[in-house]
Amino acid sequence: MSTLSIGGQQLDASWFLLLSAILFVLGAVGVLVRRNPLVILISIELMLNAANLALVTFSRQLQNIEGQLFALMSMTVAAAEAVVGLAILVDIFRARDVEDVDDLSELRG
Amino acid sequence: MSTNPTLALLILLFPALGGLVLAGRGWRLPRVFTVIIGPGVVWASFVCVLALFFGGAQGDYTYWTWIKSGSFEVPFNILIDNLSIFMGLVITGVGGLIITYAVGYMEHEDDASYARFFCYMDIFVLSMLLLVLAGNFIFLIVGWALVGLSSYLLIGFWYQRRSAVVAARKAFVMNVIGDVGMILGTFTLFANFHATTFASVFKALPRADNGAVELAAFLLLVGAIAKSAQLPLHTWLPDAMEGPTPVSALIHAATMVTAGVYLVGRMHPIYDVAVYAHGAVAIVGAVTALFAATIAIVQVDIKRVLAYSTMSQIGYMFLAVGIGAYSAGFFHLLSHAFFKALLFMAAGNVIHAMKDEQDMRKFGGLWGQMRPTSITFLIGSLSLVGVFPLVGFFSKEQILGAAFAKPDDAAVQLLWFIGFVTALITGFYTGRMWWLSFWGKPSPQRPVEHPHEAPPVMLVPVAILAMLATLGGFIQTRALGFGPSVVSDFLDKVVTPQRWEESGVAVGLGVLTMLLGAGLFWYARSLRPWSARLPWAQRLLEHKYYFDEIYDAAFVRPLDWLAGFFQRDVEVPVIDGAVVDTGLITQWTSQRGASLQTGYFRNYVLVFVVGAVIIAVVLLARAFS
Amino acid sequence: MAIAVFFFFAALAIVGGVGVVTFHQPIRSVLSLVVVMLSLSVMFLLLSAQFVFAVQIIVYAGAVMVLFLFVIALLGPARELGRGRLRFQTSLSILFVLALFGLMYALIQGIQYRQPEHADLSFFGTVQSIAVGLFTTYLYPFELTSILLLVAAIGAIYLSRKRIDDL
Repeated sequence: MSTLSIGGQQLDASWFLLLSAILFVLGAVGVLVRRNPLVILISIELMLNAANLALVTFSRQLQNIEGQLFALMSMTVAAAEAVVGLAILVDIFRARDVEDVDDLSELRG
Repeated sequence: MSTNPTLALLILLFPALGGLVLAGRGWRLPRVFTVIIGPGVVWASFVCVLALFFGGAQGDYTYWTWIKSGSFEVPFNILIDNLSIFMGLVITGVGGLIITYAVGYMEHEDDASYARFFCYMDIFVLSMLLLVLAGNFIFLIVGWALVGLSSYLLIGFWYQRRSAVVAARKAFVMNVIGDVGMILGTFTLFANFHATTFASVFKALPRADNGAVELAAFLLLVGAIAKSAQLPLHTWLPDAMEGPTPVSALIHAATMVTAGVYLVGRMHPIYDVAVYAHGAVAIVGAVTALFAATIAIVQVDIKRVLAYSTMSQIGYMFLAVGIGAYSAGFFHLLSHAFFKALLFMAAGNVIHAMKDEQDMRKFGGLWGQMRPTSITFLIGSLSLVGVFPLVGFFSKEQILGAAFAKPDDAAVQLLWFIGFVTALITGFYTGRMWWLSFWGKPSPQRPVEHPHEAPPVMLVPVAILAMLATLGGFIQTRALGFGPSVVSDFLDKVVTPQRWEESGVAVGLGVLTMLLGAGLFWYARSLRPWSARLPWAQRLLEHKYYFDEIYDAAFVRPLDWLAGFFQRDVEVPVIDGAVVDTGLITQWTSQRGASLQTGYFRNYVLVFVVGAVIIAVVLLARAFS
Repeated sequence: MAIAVFFFFAALAIVGGVGVVTFHQPIRSVLSLVVVMLSLSVMFLLLSAQFVFAVQIIVYAGAVMVLFLFVIALLGPARELGRGRLRFQTSLSILFVLALFGLMYALIQGIQYRQPEHADLSFFGTVQSIAVGLFTTYLYPFELTSILLLVAAIGAIYLSRKRIDDL
């Protein structure tokens, strides 16, 4: 059931999914380990892309277009989120030079 | 006839209203209101009692049911019979005179305290009336306890004085011991008879188990002993003299301390059955009488002499009711109310004139300067000694004669002898009191050179009581073999009549007692200091046979230690600790919890990831289960 | 041939992903991400998602990444220095992330695939099929998404306006 017939050859859907998992995990590592806020945002985009890949994979496997529609919506939302996130970052950057996201820790308690 | 229930209720309502009004508004109104309301309500009650007396009222009036729970039913009922009317007359009559006297005695107080005093006095009169009018055990106990409360409030009236507060507390605590006895006695009776009203209990007595009745009688006796300051629960009465003199006159001479005698009288059906307890009553009375008289010899405070004298005379009353001579006991109650109140109030006149000095050694020579008070005091003293023709002679003689002449009871002769000796000692200490205070030259330590006589409001009640003390005896001379017996006739309808007559020997011995007593009264004038010869006896008497010290060591110190122990080692660490620690634990937990908020964004994301891992684990577990 | 394409671009995507996470200069991270996105668009094509493939390149790689580049240009090159204050963050992160990956792997292995719904592949993934879905069944989410974009745009303008005084 998981085999997809692509370009005359048989590929396994789980390979795509595995790729998606790897990319997702890489993005997670980036969010967790890097301290530059920009790089963090970029890693988040990477995670979103990985999710999109999984969606489209399932869409193909089930022959259901809804997966791709979802992926489109996801892309839109990712774009909006990137825009707003960058706007906030610019705002913070105007107040103080932030190279290290750990500097922004006033909300401790 | 149908107004009797209303009258009976009014007897209680008047002082209740007086107390209420004075408590609520008294300190804001001008003094004249207090002067009118304070004594006025008591006189109004007196009128009601008189109406019932002349109307020959008898009845058990129930007004409403207070508690009804299963077989435990407590009505609010008033029992009007000759005994309750008798006690009511004494309380409202003598009480009215004393409270009127107090209008003058307490004039130096400020308005608020003045009103407070009369409020407390009215509450006391209410409680005492409730005690004697109650028709069931529960309200008897209510009145009993309220009387104890009023006594506490009034002894500690001058609460700024530490000694007064301590004395009030002591009185209250000892009264509570008596209250416990009363309550346990009531429980015993209820457990056996399932009834709370006097009528029901007395009716059921013949069917009862003697042991239970004896037990109840002893328990009730504990209450009587505490309230009447008999041995061994007597130590509070001398200290109670810290209260103002009208308080001493009313509560600790004429009324409250006689409640024990009333109790035995009211419960006579029980005591007629419980012979051991009945005998105990007489023994306690006789021993206390002698004991108190010996202590009175060495007292220097005039009020303390009178306090011990009261203790001694009530011992006589207990002796009388203890041997079955109920009317004799109550007659002595009446006569004692007359002359003891008289003595206290006259002493109050002296104290008032001497600017609150009470030490007799600082008086002297008052006969010349305060003639009316001296005369009344002399009448009271002679009545106390029992000199013919004053009322004290007749009542004391009736008791001693009954004790001597009681047939088939040799032990009672011993009690008679104790009473005889006590009467002689009474003569001595009374004489000493009189000569020291009123005769001879004025003491060099006198606080006031020329004391002024008391104002009319304080003299007139004293004079009235002096008259009653002089003439009162003639209503009951039957004991001597002739004449009227108004009191016994009146009371014998409700208490067991005395079934024997006094022999001629008894009468003769009575006269001899009087003569010897009067002789010692005269002898006290020379007052040789006998303390030089027997210093140990002097010390023993001055320390009141060390009862206070014994009680202190046996009860007060251990309880203090126990309380301290609980405070230090249980209350603070354990109980307080539990409460405080709960707070501390909450604080500690929240501080630990708050440390999770590090403020670092990356930590929070890590937590997300951990959460995702957990969810994944759960999903897998469910998928593969 | 398809398999070879797949593996090549998968490897490229992974390399790009590692690059995103490891480069110290943000500009290099962004460019690595572009590589990833382009690789993924090829994946989409393999999966018969022609429209998504196009949109991925135009919107994501073309617009969003350009936006990132502009911001980097605005903010200037910044380098991460030092080791950072959180001592256990790196080790714990790698641990949990590896755990996450392991679990995902297990989950993937355990998927029960359903039968595909249609057999016809010629129509699948075309612009037409997307349009049919987007403008009929899912019109409401579509409109909402456009409002979302509007909101994001307004928000971005508001948040990044120049302030006269200090914040």
